[in-house]
Amino acid sequence: MENNSNNSQLNKTELPSPEQAFEWPRQAMCEQNWSEATQRWAVLRKAYPNHPATWFQGAIAHIEAGDLQQAEVLLNHASQHFPKHPNSLIHFATLNMRKQEWSTADDLLQQAREEHPDNVQTWMRSAKCAEGLKNIEQAGEYYQKACQVAPDNQGPYIQYAELAMRNEQWEQASERWEILRDHFPKNSAGYHRAAEAEYKLNQPKEARKLILAQQYGSDIFEENKHEQKHAEKNKISSPHTNVKQLLELVWSKANFNLQAEVHRNYLSYAWWILEPLLHMVIYYIVFGLLLNRGGENYPVFLLTGLIPWMWFTKAISSSNSILAGQHIMLQVAVPSIYFPLVMLLQTTIKQLPVFILLIGFVWLQGYPPEAHWWGLVPVLIVQAILTIALACVVAAITPFIRDLCYLVPTGLTFTMFLSGIFYDYKSIGAEWQDLFLINPMAFLLKCYREIFIDGIMPDLTTLAGWAIGSTISCLLIIFAYQRLRYVYPRIVME
Amino acid sequence: MKPIISLQNVAVRYKRSGNIFRPKSYYEALKSITLDIYPGETLGILGRNGSGKSTLLRIISGLIQPDQGKVINRGVSVSLLALQAGFDPNLNGRDNAILSAMLQGHSRQKVQTRLDEIQEYSELGDFFFEPVRTYSAGMRTRLGFSITTIISPDVLLVDEVLSVGDKHFKEKAERTMVAKIQSQQTVVLVSHSHHQIARLCDRAVLIDDGISFAVGKPKDILSLYEEQLKLDEV
Repeated sequence: MENNSNNSQLNKTELPSPEQAFEWPRQAMCEQNWSEATQRWAVLRKAYPNHPATWFQGAIAHIEAGDLQQAEVLLNHASQHFPKHPNSLIHFATLNMRKQEWSTADDLLQQAREEHPDNVQTWMRSAKCAEGLKNIEQAGEYYQKACQVAPDNQGPYIQYAELAMRNEQWEQASERWEILRDHFPKNSAGYHRAAEAEYKLNQPKEARKLILAQQYGSDIFEENKHEQKHAEKNKISSPHTNVKQLLELVWSKANFNLQAEVHRNYLSYAWWILEPLLHMVIYYIVFGLLLNRGGENYPVFLLTGLIPWMWFTKAISSSNSILAGQHIMLQVAVPSIYFPLVMLLQTTIKQLPVFILLIGFVWLQGYPPEAHWWGLVPVLIVQAILTIALACVVAAITPFIRDLCYLVPTGLTFTMFLSGIFYDYKSIGAEWQDLFLINPMAFLLKCYREIFIDGIMPDLTTLAGWAIGSTISCLLIIFAYQRLRYVYPRIVME
Repeated sequence: MKPIISLQNVAVRYKRSGNIFRPKSYYEALKSITLDIYPGETLGILGRNGSGKSTLLRIISGLIQPDQGKVINRGVSVSLLALQAGFDPNLNGRDNAILSAMLQGHSRQKVQTRLDEIQEYSELGDFFFEPVRTYSAGMRTRLGFSITTIISPDVLLVDEVLSVGDKHFKEKAERTMVAKIQSQQTVVLVSHSHHQIARLCDRAVLIDDGISFAVGKPKDILSLYEEQLKLDEV
């Protein structure tokens, strides 16, 4: 043959390997530029006439280009030269299928299935033919067979699923896409085509899930399962309904605040002691030395009044705590009472070491502890409840009447002068003394001095009265906070 | 399926507080909102600036009560996921993380066991133990989002958080959110990103001038919203 002699000459001038050379027409086929592909294969047929691909692929290109006659010429030639080649049966079948001669194609493929059961194309074409013959089930079986023959090839899996899509068998399609995803998780068709099937099944949620899985990787579903397990354990309880949760929160926040405060200042914890001491020095200079009102053991007298007073005044003065917490209140459902309680606990913790120092100081000054010191317990408890009640009331009212912010310090200064911190209540007129002691702080300071200095038990009856009164106030204010639960978030915003 | 939260003709009116020189006045943030939230769904909320989206989230989360209409919560916990706000600048990242999670209803013990997780997710390194006032805006955002990774209320309200931080962290956060949305978590998502609403939501609702203007498939609502925006420009 003429072609053969040409070829032998060409072979001598170092042709590229067939694989390399065939890339050229295959590229055209990939681009579905069939006429270009036919021309390229024609060129390569001259160069590699003994290579079956040049004939078979050329024939395919012709079929796709619609030139069935030329395709038949090539296939006839190929089947003569490569009679054992599976493609000759398969492509003849393809040609016949294109001619709509289904039964001829079916006969050819029947033969191919017998002779070349290991060739994936045998099964792929058989499936196409079966579909052409409207035998969908049979087609599906052939595709399955193709998947078995070439498990590493994505094509059969995709075609298997697409078959179901074409025939609107959405459920089957969904299952088949899942098989594709299992084998080839990177193939995007397994996700977006499957999503289309899910839409048709009216499962938009599943469909969205698939599209997201394509973007983020399918392990995102695993994360959910993990999180869901956690979620069951993470049963949450709102601090609104759970008192323990609220108290734990208050305790944590107060502690964190104190730690942060300590870290910010150079002398840190020392300030807790230094601050009241400085106050005492000032009052001592003014009242003890300059005004000469002190008398015997004035420092002890001053400290026993000043230190309990400072606990009280510091707790009350943070009256705008709810307004300060507005950022939190507009984000989470936190009980408003949380804010004043944190300030209360914080100041109380700070006062503890000062109180211990006070006791040590009094002892060193020649007033050793005796049985009547037990009186301190009720006095401290009453002061605590009273402070809580008052601080919560002031904090509760301030958001409604913001001008109260300015009145609170003034009021506290006024109360300070009326509580007998630097003078003894006995030094005022006898007719005023009862009235003076109605002020609970004046009464409590009197109790402290009776215990520390006079060495007697305080007036327990009046103490009990104040205890009951402030406890009732506490309960009322807690009730008020609950009633105002939805009011505060709006008040702080407005 | 029964809705877990229902809003019926909800209206909210804010008071503009007056003083002796200016009388009180009222401002209607929400006029009439009717809305159902179903278990497991992702509901998108669309609306122009000032249309009342934030107020709506506050209503759904139960922080405030409406002046008119009804909010029915059928026993579900709701958390508002909004970043940055609520931190105490003087406390360090760790303490803020603990408090935030506790405010959302977790016990201190539970939070403590997952602190490492939060620190790792936030990528703050040693800054986790520095006061939040020293943080950059991006670092705050990272901390804020990290805390939410351990929070799983029945209904999660998300306010524009998917568009924060640097590129790397944004992708990570988005991935986490998507994972949450894909689980059984019910999510209400406020976003200006059309892409996000279309991709993530089962349903969408358009809020216009305090009224629930339309509810439906994300695609339909988005096109409605776009028409509105076009009208604005004209």
